[in-house]
Amino acid sequence: MPRHVACVMDGNGRWAQRRSLPRAAGHRAAETSVIDVIEAARAAGVEWLSLYAFSTENWNRPGPEVDDLMRLVRRVVRKHAPLLLARGIRCRFLGAADPRIPRGLAQDFEDLATLTAENQGMTLTVAFDHGGRRDIVEAARSLIRSGTPADEVTERLFADHLPFPDTPDVDLVIRTSGEQRISNFMLWQVAYAEWVFPEVLWPDFRTPDFLTCLDAYRRRDRRFGGVPPQKNGDPS
Amino acid sequence: MTTGTTGTADEAPLFGPESRFHAFFDDPRWALAMIRATVLEAAHPQIGAALADNSTFMAHPWRRLRNTFLSMRRMFDADPAVREREAARLNRLHARMSGSDSRGRPYDAMDRATRAWVVATLFESAVTMCRLSGQPLDQDTMEHMYAEYRVFLAALDGDAGELPEDLHDFWRYFDGVVEDELENTEAARVILYRLFDHLPAPALLDGAPALWAAGRAVVGPLLGAITVASLPEPYRRRAGLPEMPGAPTLMQGAYLAAGLTRFLPDGWLRAETIIETLSLSPDSDDPRARTVAALRARMKRASALLRLLTPLGGDTGPDPFPAARADTAATATTEASGESRRSAEEFFRQVLDQTGDGHLDWPDLAAMARELATRLDLDEPEETRLYDAFAAWWRELQAALDTDGDGRVSAAEYAAAVPSLAGPALIRVAEVLFDATDKDGSGTIDAAEHRALFRTAFHRDLDLTDGTYGRSAFVGDFLSFMSGRRANTPYDPLLADA
Repeated sequence: MPRHVACVMDGNGRWAQRRSLPRAAGHRAAETSVIDVIEAARAAGVEWLSLYAFSTENWNRPGPEVDDLMRLVRRVVRKHAPLLLARGIRCRFLGAADPRIPRGLAQDFEDLATLTAENQGMTLTVAFDHGGRRDIVEAARSLIRSGTPADEVTERLFADHLPFPDTPDVDLVIRTSGEQRISNFMLWQVAYAEWVFPEVLWPDFRTPDFLTCLDAYRRRDRRFGGVPPQKNGDPS
Repeated sequence: MTTGTTGTADEAPLFGPESRFHAFFDDPRWALAMIRATVLEAAHPQIGAALADNSTFMAHPWRRLRNTFLSMRRMFDADPAVREREAARLNRLHARMSGSDSRGRPYDAMDRATRAWVVATLFESAVTMCRLSGQPLDQDTMEHMYAEYRVFLAALDGDAGELPEDLHDFWRYFDGVVEDELENTEAARVILYRLFDHLPAPALLDGAPALWAAGRAVVGPLLGAITVASLPEPYRRRAGLPEMPGAPTLMQGAYLAAGLTRFLPDGWLRAETIIETLSLSPDSDDPRARTVAALRARMKRASALLRLLTPLGGDTGPDPFPAARADTAATATTEASGESRRSAEEFFRQVLDQTGDGHLDWPDLAAMARELATRLDLDEPEETRLYDAFAAWWRELQAALDTDGDGRVSAAEYAAAVPSLAGPALIRVAEVLFDATDKDGSGTIDAAEHRALFRTAFHRDLDLTDGTYGRSAFVGDFLSFMSGRRANTPYDPLLADA
């Protein structure tokens, strides 16, 4: 069982286009998949789930689509906050530092993180306005500011300066819609990850698809054998 | 020496837990009476001027309350050595306060007649508080209490000659001062009308600003009205204070209600517990602070849930905060850089401008020295060395920052020249403070010495070697707090807490 699963939620736009709907409809349809996957991961015993919701590059999309997405995310966060609390899921938001994020949404992110901070169940990290390179640059800045001598910098020490340093390495990345790219997602943490690329578009991605991906991960382990002794933790 | 001084001082009932004065400590009526006494003191032109110039009660009322309370308790301690030491400390403190008021009349905190008036207001307010709450004191108790207060004055002044010997003459003296000497001073107006409306939250409630502001908006004006109505009529007339319909009833009701708490079981209300609890800051290592912090975390979570559950207006409507975006950008940048640094303006208001008058001048730095000396419980000559170091720093600041030459430093002048704050004189202040804190002269600050200064155990982020805090680390941290405007250091509660 992978300890840390990450999903790159790709294909909302294409899903809408195939149905001759506006792109926004695709984003809206993604909501069901998100809730389904969170529930499936929790039930399957995944301890860490990360969702790539919005990248730093996504700001380049047309203004109305971005605005619409922000409103949608805000509605989803507020709608499901009690459920997430009740399910014992600890939520947090990776990135989410851009001033273009509406104040109300930023407040909701903060509130949801505060509300669920004490939860002991699965940790859900939503990468919103996230960029893997930016995190690495930030970590480097933080290291330099702390005055660490160059010789003492190790991978472990460097990782401690990343946002949410308690996050373990990603074991399995699921990227839907058949696209096979990293797209600047949690670059540091995916170093040893297994990748699966189901053809299904994200709005159609449901619990069975998720379980298939987990199964693929398990089979892959079985085929290659020799699981590294410490695959979740410190590579150094 | 007049009667009722050292002779009676050693008789048990006048001091210690048996005295009348001690009985009032935990009495909620005493809180109202103290406010009233303070207004009467501030209405005295000499005291009013001294308060306006030197007092920190506007900017740091809770700290001031705590210090006053502890000092009063020491002055009425059963052990004469404790009383003498506290009296000497108060005298040194007051000897450093003199100047002139806005009309150029000189004041001097050592003036004997003025100090007698302070004691007179305390006594009279205690008597009045009993009258107003419907439990007047009988003649014997009143005379006994008067003797106690005269001894209190004698402990400060050497003798109680400035107060009439006899209770009968006291009332004539009191009425005479009220009618002839009291004025509508700035300090009295500030206490009546500004202090409670702007009262900053005590450390305990710092995390719930909305709650505090809401409570203050109701209680502030009420306390003002209650206090005005309880002042002597001749003073109300002279100072032109409003007579509000219902205010006397409200005032008597408040005193009566406070008096009813005498039916509560013993130990339910303890002034010391209340004051200490209010001054708890959430990151202190006191076990009660953990409970408070846990409670506060629950409150934060509850309000987060409440906000998330509040319905939004219109899903498809436009962004409800479009105008706020530019704002958000500004906030986000300050938040990003503001985690460890605070704005120059905030630092000026919270730390430098101790008297809250909007300017940095000598009384502000003297107030810092006073607070540090009080915490460390310094005796001579360490206290004078600390004051001298602060005085040298003030000269350095004045020379560097006072560009318009008005003898004081405004917030704007300060903001324009922040980097030059860390001159050699400030380094000297840090060194003197280190020596004063390092009581055993070991060259390091150990856990007990650290607790005396900061009221909390070592902070995790301190640069510690072998569990002690060395001179250079201490001086470095002090300088970065005073000049680099680093927030969230252990120095914060030292000078910034309300």
